[in-house]
Amino acid sequence: MTMSEQQSASARQHWISVLAKADSKALQDQWQALAIEPEYQFIRKPEIGLTMMRGRVGGSGQPFNLGEMTLTRCAVRLASGSLGVSYVAGRNKAHALTAALADALLQDRDYQVALQEQLIAPLEAQLIAAKAEREAKASATKVDFFTLVRGED
Amino acid sequence: MSVQVNSMNRGAVRSDLLMAGFDDAVQDAQKVFRKVLKAMSEPGTILAADLTDKTPGALNKSSWEIALTLFDADTKIWLSPTLAGDDAVISNLRFHCQCPMVSEPAEADFALALADELPELKALNWGNSEYPDQSTTLIVQVEAITNQTQDSDEGWCLTGPGIETERGLSVSGLPYSFRLDLVNSRKRFPLGVDCVFCADDQLVALPRSTEIKPSDSEEGIRNTTQQEAN
Repeated sequence: MTMSEQQSASARQHWISVLAKADSKALQDQWQALAIEPEYQFIRKPEIGLTMMRGRVGGSGQPFNLGEMTLTRCAVRLASGSLGVSYVAGRNKAHALTAALADALLQDRDYQVALQEQLIAPLEAQLIAAKAEREAKASATKVDFFTLVRGED
Repeated sequence: MSVQVNSMNRGAVRSDLLMAGFDDAVQDAQKVFRKVLKAMSEPGTILAADLTDKTPGALNKSSWEIALTLFDADTKIWLSPTLAGDDAVISNLRFHCQCPMVSEPAEADFALALADELPELKALNWGNSEYPDQSTTLIVQVEAITNQTQDSDEGWCLTGPGIETERGLSVSGLPYSFRLDLVNSRKRFPLGVDCVFCADDQLVALPRSTEIKPSDSEEGIRNTTQQEAN
C-alpha cells in the first residue's frame, strides 16, 4: 500500500467511524439539511443481525466473548459507481442507509470537501462534546481514597 | 492444509465488482430453498430459478441463486478453476455468503463447477457409513437440461424415490467419463454425491438415491462399465 492509499484509507476509516457513532437524529438532521438525493442501488439492503463482541482482560489478556450486540449493516452503489458501506450499532435501518450513502459520496471528490465540512465535522464535534460531558459527569463522582489523620493521641 | 486455504483466501473482495443479490434476501432465499428441496425430492423435475437479473462473472442464474441460498459461513466451497480465478465470482460469494473457499474438493460441503471442469467424482467427499449426509453436494453449470430424451445420446432414464414410474432427463455437455462414474456411484449407496445441474435459469437435481439408466445406448455403456470394473 502506498502512502497516499494509506492516507485515504485512514481518512475513510475516520468518516465511517464518525457516521457510525453519530447520534441517529443528528445524522438525519444534518443529512437532510444537505438536500442531496443521489441515485443508488442496494448491494445489501439494511439488515439487522447480531455480532459477538470480544474483549481482552486489561487489553492484553486472552480474548474472550463479552456478549452479543445488535448491528445493522448496509451497502449501496451510487450511479457513479462508488460503493458505500456501513455497520451501525443498534437496529436503526435509516441510520445505516444514510451512513452508507454518505460513505459512498465521501469517496467522490466532488462531494468530499463539502460533506467533510457540513456533515462529518459537525457530527464529530457533537461526538466529542457528548464524550466530554459524559467524562465530566463521571469525574464529578470520582472518589479519592486517602486516610485522614486519626485522632489517636 | 491451512496453508492451502490461506492461499485461496488471498483474493480480497473487490468493491467495484460487487453486485446486488436477491431483491428480498429472506423471501427469495426461502423460495429458492423450496425449489431445491422440490428438485431433490422429485429427481429429474426441472424447475425455474429466475429471481435475479444479473449474475457475477461466469455464474449462471440458477447456480448464483443456489449459492445465495445455500452457501454461508459454515459451508466450505470448492470452485472449479475458471470460477476460482474469477474475481467477480470470488468477491460476490465472499460478500454475500461469507463462505470459506477450500482448494481440495474432498473438503468441500458444496462443489460448484463448470461442466468441462468437473472434478473426478471420487475426488469429492462421499460421506461415511455413520454420516452419509456429510458428503459433498455437487453443483454443475451445464449448457441445457431437458426432459426430452429422444434423439439424444445423453438421455437418462431415472427411477427411484420421488419418481412414480420413470422420468427422462437429458443433461448436455457432461463429459462421458463423469456420466459413467455417476451411474457407477449408485453401487456404493448410501454413500455418494448428490448433484444439482444448473442451466441458465433452470435447475434439476439428481440425488444419490436415483437410479440412472442411459436411455439410448444402454448396452454400450453397460459393456464399457464392466470393462472398467474389470
